[in-house]
Amino acid sequence: MESKELNDHIRRSLTILIESADELRDLDQALGDGDLGITISAGSKAVIEALEELPDDTAPTEIARTCAKAFANANPSTMAALVAGALLSGSRTWEGESTIGVAEAARFTRAAADSIAQRGKTQVGDKTILDGISAASDALESVTDPGEALEATKSAAEKAVQETTSLQSRRGRASWLQERSIGLADPGATAFQRFVEAWAAAGVAKN
Amino acid sequence: MKKIINDPENFVDEFVEGILLAHPDLVKTPGDDPRVLVRADAPVKGHVGIVTGGGSGHLPLFKGYVGQGLCSGVAIGNVFSSPSSEQIFQATKAVDGGAGVLYLYGNYGGDVFNFDLSVDLAELEDIDTKTVLGRDDVASQPKERKLDRRGVAGILFAFKAAGAAAERGDSLDQVAAIAEDVVEHTATIGIGLAPTILPTTGKPSFELPDGEMEIGIGIHGEPGTKRGALESADEIAEHLSSALIEDLGLSKGSRVAVLVNGMGATPLEELYVLYRKTHQVLAEQGIDIVKNYVGEYATSLEMAGASISILDLNDDRLELLNAPAESPFFREG
Repeated sequence: MESKELNDHIRRSLTILIESADELRDLDQALGDGDLGITISAGSKAVIEALEELPDDTAPTEIARTCAKAFANANPSTMAALVAGALLSGSRTWEGESTIGVAEAARFTRAAADSIAQRGKTQVGDKTILDGISAASDALESVTDPGEALEATKSAAEKAVQETTSLQSRRGRASWLQERSIGLADPGATAFQRFVEAWAAAGVAKN
Repeated sequence: MKKIINDPENFVDEFVEGILLAHPDLVKTPGDDPRVLVRADAPVKGHVGIVTGGGSGHLPLFKGYVGQGLCSGVAIGNVFSSPSSEQIFQATKAVDGGAGVLYLYGNYGGDVFNFDLSVDLAELEDIDTKTVLGRDDVASQPKERKLDRRGVAGILFAFKAAGAAAERGDSLDQVAAIAEDVVEHTATIGIGLAPTILPTTGKPSFELPDGEMEIGIGIHGEPGTKRGALESADEIAEHLSSALIEDLGLSKGSRVAVLVNGMGATPLEELYVLYRKTHQVLAEQGIDIVKNYVGEYATSLEMAGASISILDLNDDRLELLNAPAESPFFREG
């Protein structure tokens, strides 16, 4: 997709994602401090507003950078800063690109995962959002057809969340619960799954 | 344990408010978060900003070194806890004069985590940043792992030199290179005689029997790397200064700055007894103390004990140390 389509698609996706804010808040209350709901809802609203201001021909890299900036400033928190840093890293892989396809999405997602791992001092299996993003990144790198890519990403993100349920949280506030975190899905990975589902639904809604 | 406090939860906000009320001509809080302090004239247009930060409980470190010729801003955490990335980012925006911002703080995991997050937030606002970590505590890691050492009192030298460089208009790359050069030539080691008591818990951070001391302490009330029999002031000065001389590779003809720092509960008299012998030890080896600082520069609440820091000087470093500076807790010239 090109600039205008990308911008529209992100805004439609985030409008859908906001509907998951209450679920994410409740999940985060069980494991953390419960601010993930507001991080996602306030962040998504801020991104939608910022994207509405952009001209139709804004380059994809600049669209992604705008998302990062708006998300970071909407409801500042460690999670917001980590996501903003991930989007910033992703945006750098789109420099000079005018069309975003599966290969570009794969590069973006891999850079985002690397950023979360580096900035968050975390690795796959620590029961964080990284588990979801990393699985999605693997999925995107294994396919070329856009329809297949979306399905593969959706199932990878969903499977990653299921797998986090049996794990013990090793990063952030959730890690303080130690063994008690086992049995609960990770809120960050769940937020990423809801985003991927929203992205898919936004495409269906348009068609 | 008795302390002059109100609700322990308000301890940090209340002492920061006190600093602001006492020194409105020197520092201000740029937004609505009282945990961010910047120099009163920030941002200084065209000059590099320097943001530091870390836990509370170390006054004059870190918030005491915000002012002209020193750091431009500070993000303030709870007692012995890192400030958040958003507080660091707020300080960054408030001190950015268009020439970029240096992050200069002690090497601790929580601080590195939050400052690194703020690096991305700053980049999104088109603010260039560079990071230099204070890592002067020779007891915390052997020399071959010096990049992993923690930052303690010796970071004062880096604040002073980098602050002077920023004040004279050096570029971000230059200010960062100067900070790194000073960190590279700074070494510190400390001993503890009595623990710290956290306002929130009211409990001592460790137990230390009479007649013993902790050697190689940090600035968070933590025990040292080893425990030994309490020595006389002269023995302590000899052992600590010898460790620093060896670590820095000082020899006859070296010129140095020496900082004898109290941890919070040790009288100034005792610090001068320590300085006396330190001066003599260095003089005997032909090492010239060109500048000295004796007093409380980086504390650990009411911990008893002291640290000695040495900066190996050359003409450039000395010029920067001698440049004028003024903050609520530090003045030069």
